[in-house]
Amino acid sequence: MHKLGRGNRDKVQQFIAISGTSEKVAVQLLKACDWQLERAFDAFFSQPQIRAVTDSRRLEELYNRYKDPYVDMITVDGISLLCEDLQVDPQDIVMLVISWHMKAAIMCEFSRQEFIGGLQSLGIDSIEKFREKLPALRAELKDEQKFHEIYNFAFSWAKEKGQKSLQLDTAIGMWQLLFAEKHWPFVDYWCQFLQAKHNKAISRDTWSQLLEFVKTMDPQLSNYEEDSAWPYLIDEFVEYLTENGIVPSRK
Amino acid sequence: MSSQKKRNFKIEAFKHRVELDPKYAERTWKVLEHAIHEIYNHNASGLSFEELYRSAYNMVLHKYGEKLYSGLVTTMTWHLKQIAESIEAAQGGLFLEELNRKWVDHNKALQMIRDILMYMDRTYIPSCHKTPVHELGLNLWRDHIIHSGKIQTRLLDTLLELIHRERTGEIINRGLMRNITKMLMDLGPSVYQEDFEKPFLEVSAGFYSGESQQFIECCDCGDYLKKAERRLNEEMERVSQYLDARSEAKITSVVEKEMIANHMQRLVHMENSGLVNMLLDDKYEDLSRMYNLFRRVPDGLSTIRDVMTSHLRETGKQLVTDPERLKDPVDFVQRLLNEKDKHDKIISIAFNNDKTFQNALNSSFEFFINLNNRSPEFISLYVDDKLRKGLNGATEEDVEVVLDKVMMLFRYLQEKDVFEKYYKQHLAKRLLNGKTVSDDAERSMLVKLKTECGYQFTSKLEGMFTDMKTSQDTMQDFYASPFGDIGDGPTLTVQILTTGSWPTQPSPACNLPPEIVNVCEKFKSYYLGTHTGRRLTWQTNMGYADIKATFGKGQKHELNVSTYQMCVLMLFNSADGLTYKEIEQATEIPASDLKRCLQSLALVKGKNVLRKEPMSKDISEDDTFYFNDKFSSKFVKVKIGTVVAQKESEPEKQETRQRVEEDRKPQIEAAIVRIMKSRRVLDHNSIVTEVTKQLQSRFLPNPVVIKKRIESLIEREFLERDKADRKLYRYLA
Repeated sequence: MHKLGRGNRDKVQQFIAISGTSEKVAVQLLKACDWQLERAFDAFFSQPQIRAVTDSRRLEELYNRYKDPYVDMITVDGISLLCEDLQVDPQDIVMLVISWHMKAAIMCEFSRQEFIGGLQSLGIDSIEKFREKLPALRAELKDEQKFHEIYNFAFSWAKEKGQKSLQLDTAIGMWQLLFAEKHWPFVDYWCQFLQAKHNKAISRDTWSQLLEFVKTMDPQLSNYEEDSAWPYLIDEFVEYLTENGIVPSRK
Repeated sequence: MSSQKKRNFKIEAFKHRVELDPKYAERTWKVLEHAIHEIYNHNASGLSFEELYRSAYNMVLHKYGEKLYSGLVTTMTWHLKQIAESIEAAQGGLFLEELNRKWVDHNKALQMIRDILMYMDRTYIPSCHKTPVHELGLNLWRDHIIHSGKIQTRLLDTLLELIHRERTGEIINRGLMRNITKMLMDLGPSVYQEDFEKPFLEVSAGFYSGESQQFIECCDCGDYLKKAERRLNEEMERVSQYLDARSEAKITSVVEKEMIANHMQRLVHMENSGLVNMLLDDKYEDLSRMYNLFRRVPDGLSTIRDVMTSHLRETGKQLVTDPERLKDPVDFVQRLLNEKDKHDKIISIAFNNDKTFQNALNSSFEFFINLNNRSPEFISLYVDDKLRKGLNGATEEDVEVVLDKVMMLFRYLQEKDVFEKYYKQHLAKRLLNGKTVSDDAERSMLVKLKTECGYQFTSKLEGMFTDMKTSQDTMQDFYASPFGDIGDGPTLTVQILTTGSWPTQPSPACNLPPEIVNVCEKFKSYYLGTHTGRRLTWQTNMGYADIKATFGKGQKHELNVSTYQMCVLMLFNSADGLTYKEIEQATEIPASDLKRCLQSLALVKGKNVLRKEPMSKDISEDDTFYFNDKFSSKFVKVKIGTVVAQKESEPEKQETRQRVEEDRKPQIEAAIVRIMKSRRVLDHNSIVTEVTKQLQSRFLPNPVVIKKRIESLIEREFLERDKADRKLYRYLA
């Protein structure tokens, strides 16, 4: 706060006094509103998430409950405990949605910033609120746009650090999880095909193009065109389906 | 002068009316009529032209033109009817002659009558829009003679009959025919066309349709074409002899249609004598005839071309896929070259060097050469064979010709990079084994490849030549230097090969005999002393050696062997018998190479400097080898070749193929990046097209491979997919 000019510092203090929010939020909001107090208040009271998170102390407690005893982050054990508290299976897709909200860099890990920031933006500061929120989170998967984002998020989230592509078995696991939501009829064939013919890691391009493919293709794949720039893996998959008589040949 | 008094000029009528005898006209006409009769009766000698002219003049002058004209028509008509009767009366063959004679008479008479009536022709006829005398005479002749019911059909029949007789080989009076057709033409183009030409063409069509049908049933293709050609020439001659020149195009098109166009397919496909057989038997004359006849009809040439193309493709395909042929690559390529020569010759001799035929030939070759993916290897082997054997006694020009022909085949190759790979291998072998016979020929081939494919293609090949030259200099310097004092040790020749320029595969060096190691070390320290920062590795699998050996009865031979063989033989300086295992241990030569080299040392008749126990045709790991002191040869120098497969074995082939594929990847990627760098954004199909275009001078990239390369570039963040249109790629700088 000491970096701010005198006038602005007054405004921050005034804002904190009235809203009871943290200094950080106050500065952020005011900055975003060009240091106009009235607009900042408008923004503050119209955004429930921001208002909801009033208690950073409770968030801290929550974080500490799951934190790894040796490093400053939540690791596998912490996540298992969290799942237990939430009464969900760690394999539940809702965990992916939560990770997406937390902008988690990799699977089975939350840094302090990811955890607290994520919960803040969700407006959660207790395990009860968290549990109440689960159905809403689950519902987000139905949203086309959000599903798209979650799908693409899943790639970088699930891949191992420092690698460009996703291990095949991880990819298959993720696909089965994700396409269970999407009801793609070929998901099992796709996984079989990959295991039989490909057996290599999956590139980001193939990952993201598969969702496009799923979205654009009809159930008979009759609108598939060889020269429409699908990744070669998808081309080969279509060939595989045709060869095995799963979809009618286009000739 | 008074202005009121105007003087008007007046022309007064003749004061005295010229009174004419009312019978004047009648009388004058009688005179003229008589004259006309006399003219037709060949009695004109007694007539006074001057008097008759004046009479006619006066009649016109005194307004009796009408009478004169109609009188003329009546009189002439009467005479023509007479003539018609006499013509009709003519018997058989005399008919035409009579007609012709009367026609000549009529023309003469007409000439005279016109002269007499000249004044009428000049004044009365134009003012009254009547037909001039000469034309009138022709019209009357037409109407009363030619179109007279009895003559018209008889005339036509006679003419057609005569032509038919001429066609069947009789001699007819062509002069008479010419006169008659000339008459028809004089009577106006429509008379000639309607009364003669049209039926003539119809009858001809019928005639030739029947004749062609008959010919095609009993003649072979060559004979048929000869006949057709003769008929065509006959018709053209006929036209020039006695028909209107304008009829030529019409009658030839009838013959073309009936004799050629209608039977084209049957002719080219005729069994045992059709186009394919002509091509097979190099029947230049027949082919040339076919070309010249078929080019006259629509689709004629394309028919020939199509059949030729499919024949070429078929035979070419058989040639390149015949497993027998694959056994001898040199023969394989020689056959291709012969095939090419043969058809080049046909096209130049028989097909008028037609560009479209040349293109068809080229595309056919391109088609079938690439059906066999070993073609690049074989073509390189062929060159290798030619450049290795020294083109025995062939002159430089001959070499050039052979190389030029090979380049022609090379141009057809889609996978030029594969050729390059093999060429490099073969060239390396030639250079390292000192088998190149002519440096000029080698260089010339290199220049050809360079002009065809650019600098990049040959830079490594050129590097190999440079290495050879540098190695020579280095060896000279080595022996001149203190290091080069090798005493009575073996003479060493080192070829220093730049890594990357040569198709060397890293192979573990074998254990050289101590004498050799000694010189090698000397060379090594010399070389590394003069060139800092370099590394030498010995490619013992590529060298060769000359060694002197003394056999049982003291006879000496000089053995020319490979480095491996030398290593093996040197072991026998200190032992008489060695087991396979012992040899393997002492030399550390890779097993497959060792077996091959033992095979050539012990199992080749006349070159078996080693003896194997037990005797058998193969080398097994339990064999024992002995120095064969009973070895004898009538030659002092014995060259012991290694049993090497000239063409590649299956696994080697696979390996080369794989290396080629690997080498292509960076080329494809480079092409994609080049294209994307300039275009920034491009859709998938355009990239594939552009990449193919850029690379086709070297090879034909597979679209699937291009796709994989694009994906790899996306992964490495050289490209990205457009956010909105997934078929578009963007270049990420």
